[in-house]
Amino acid sequence: MVVDRDRLERALNPKSVVVVGDKGPGYMWLSNMSEYTGKLYSVQVDPNEIPGIEEKNIPNFSSVAEVPGEVDLVVCAVPRQIAPIIIGQAIEKQVGGVSMFTSGFAETGEPDAIELQKKIVDACVESGMPLVGPNCMGIYNRELGVKFSNQQEQGQGSDLGVISQSGTHGIGISLGSQRLGMKVGRTISIGNAVVCNESDYIEYLIDDEKSPIVAMYLEGVKDGPRFFAGLKKLAQKKPVVIWRGGGTDAGARAAHSHTASLATDTAVWDGMIRQSGAIPTESLEDTLDVLAALVHAPACAGLGTALVAMTGGQSVAITDQFQRAGFDVPELSQKSYDTLGEFFVTIGGSYRNPFDAASTIRSETENLEKILEVLAEDSNIDGGVAIELTTAGFDKEPERLAAQLDLLAEYRTKTDQPIVAMMPEGGAVSGQAEVVLAARTKVSESGFPVYPSFRRGAEALARVQSYWSWRYSL
Amino acid sequence: MTSLTVTDTIITQARSEGRSLLSEVESKNLLVAEGISVTDAQLAKDADEAVSVAETLGYPVVMKIISPDIAHKSDVGGVVVGLADSGEVKSAYDEMMAKVSSVASTARIDGVSVQNMAEPGIEVIVGATTDPQFGPVMMFGLGGVFVEVLKDVSFRIVPLESRDAKQMVREIDALPILEGVRGQDGADLEALETLLLSISELIERRPEIAELDLNPVFAYSNGAIAVDARIVLHSQNDV
Repeated sequence: MVVDRDRLERALNPKSVVVVGDKGPGYMWLSNMSEYTGKLYSVQVDPNEIPGIEEKNIPNFSSVAEVPGEVDLVVCAVPRQIAPIIIGQAIEKQVGGVSMFTSGFAETGEPDAIELQKKIVDACVESGMPLVGPNCMGIYNRELGVKFSNQQEQGQGSDLGVISQSGTHGIGISLGSQRLGMKVGRTISIGNAVVCNESDYIEYLIDDEKSPIVAMYLEGVKDGPRFFAGLKKLAQKKPVVIWRGGGTDAGARAAHSHTASLATDTAVWDGMIRQSGAIPTESLEDTLDVLAALVHAPACAGLGTALVAMTGGQSVAITDQFQRAGFDVPELSQKSYDTLGEFFVTIGGSYRNPFDAASTIRSETENLEKILEVLAEDSNIDGGVAIELTTAGFDKEPERLAAQLDLLAEYRTKTDQPIVAMMPEGGAVSGQAEVVLAARTKVSESGFPVYPSFRRGAEALARVQSYWSWRYSL
Repeated sequence: MTSLTVTDTIITQARSEGRSLLSEVESKNLLVAEGISVTDAQLAKDADEAVSVAETLGYPVVMKIISPDIAHKSDVGGVVVGLADSGEVKSAYDEMMAKVSSVASTARIDGVSVQNMAEPGIEVIVGATTDPQFGPVMMFGLGGVFVEVLKDVSFRIVPLESRDAKQMVREIDALPILEGVRGQDGADLEALETLLLSISELIERRPEIAELDLNPVFAYSNGAIAVDARIVLHSQNDV
């Protein structure tokens, strides 16, 4: 079924939520939504569970029908045998949609469970009810405070939206992004995706303001052509990052042709993703690396990068990685060199690009300002600056890093080019583990993509650069 | 509308015989009718016929076995190249029949295809197949015997846009070979893109086609031509 957009809109942005079947001692669902800004109700008939719910001052009812007023979302956490009854109640109440945490359906492979799922699906399809799941974590909405993990943030603003076929990875992308200073506007854990499938969500996200960037974890799709068409549209409008798990290299089938025998699942998928314009990733950290560059760097298709490392060895290492990833590390103009020559410490340092800059900027922040002024004026640099930041002394003098970040932010505003913070172990990153972590966190929270290795930073930025260069070519 | 007629006839004929695999001659006739550049191949049912076809085409010629039961002709000794005169054609025919019937004794043999030997070029493969998830897809890669080992191929979903064809040709690892190594002429990449786009259009126009291999295609510095072709139809129930 093609899901009704208005109903899905209600379910994903609910003004009222009913949690059905939450249980003590933790009351996970009701607790997750303790700061929810809409009206929260509970449906629970187990006399042992009701007192705990009432203690939380959440009105409890014995069926969805009894809940007063309009209901936008039902979160269903009942045992699977009860699930069809709750679906029936939700349909009767004409709620916006149902998010079903309950599992034990077709994913088990048991005939009875498959039959049970079919019952639910048929009821939803017949009545046009958007069902999220089953077997999923459901819906997170940052602004409204609808959450499926108590670590999910609440507040205004959104950098990205997340769709995940796996609850674990939905939480992983969601919380991992937060930790890197990104605001996740919404996350939809789609589970078995039997009524609302990945194509419904993709089509929804095309016009969703809460998802200026989209991250996805998928294992497979239900309707290939529809998914491809939706993804293409989505990627032409906003950056889409897709991490796919569980692809196989098995040949398609016994085939008469070479083409068919080479058309493995992963080969066709990879081609489809490239064709759609989405950015493929291969793991959680890979996904987060790319997201950080998308969220924290301005859209930029330039390839000419300036690389600022703290030592000679690191200046070679960072150059290797950026060139390998497809960037240019161009020479600067003579005018730039003339200006740099006036103040740059060349004993144990170099400014040819890459920069070996410790002796020039370690203690004199104003020299970083001068370098950035030169780079901003140099037309050879159109792809941004990657800079190795040091953690030494961050515990005693955090203002030095803060001042550097201010200068970098200024450069970014002035040039609309990415600034990538490199904080690899060894090199300039030293000191106690908690100091390193605190320094990295400071950089993330200040709105910069920060990477624990040159390679990861260069590869993430390269994929983002190639996305924008494709977008600009459309 | 003549092109449709030829294609329709070939498809109808194969189906009426319960075949989904078109012979090389049928595949090429279909492709020619659809405006795809292939080497002209003609069917010969005995040695004398092979000689007379060769005489008409001019030497040297290539001879290939035509059998609905043999998918990989060279594996059974069913391809001979560089036949320079009528004597060579005659003896090649006899040897091929002897060899094929010993290696593939149960295979039905319809005869051989005789065709001009194309000027050698850079070998590439252009193909199409039907993906269970995404439907018709196109493939491009460097051709020859290593394609199945190296798997250096690119895929896209049908229909292709010109941008897709451009990327398909350029994203294989072997691109430097296509661009020309050691002073050799490179391949006409635009001709390969055009070929990909016209096959994509063909697949869209003729949903009866389930699989298609042009393997190899000889790519020249100016143009490209499919030297061998194989088309597999969907079984009638699938369409």
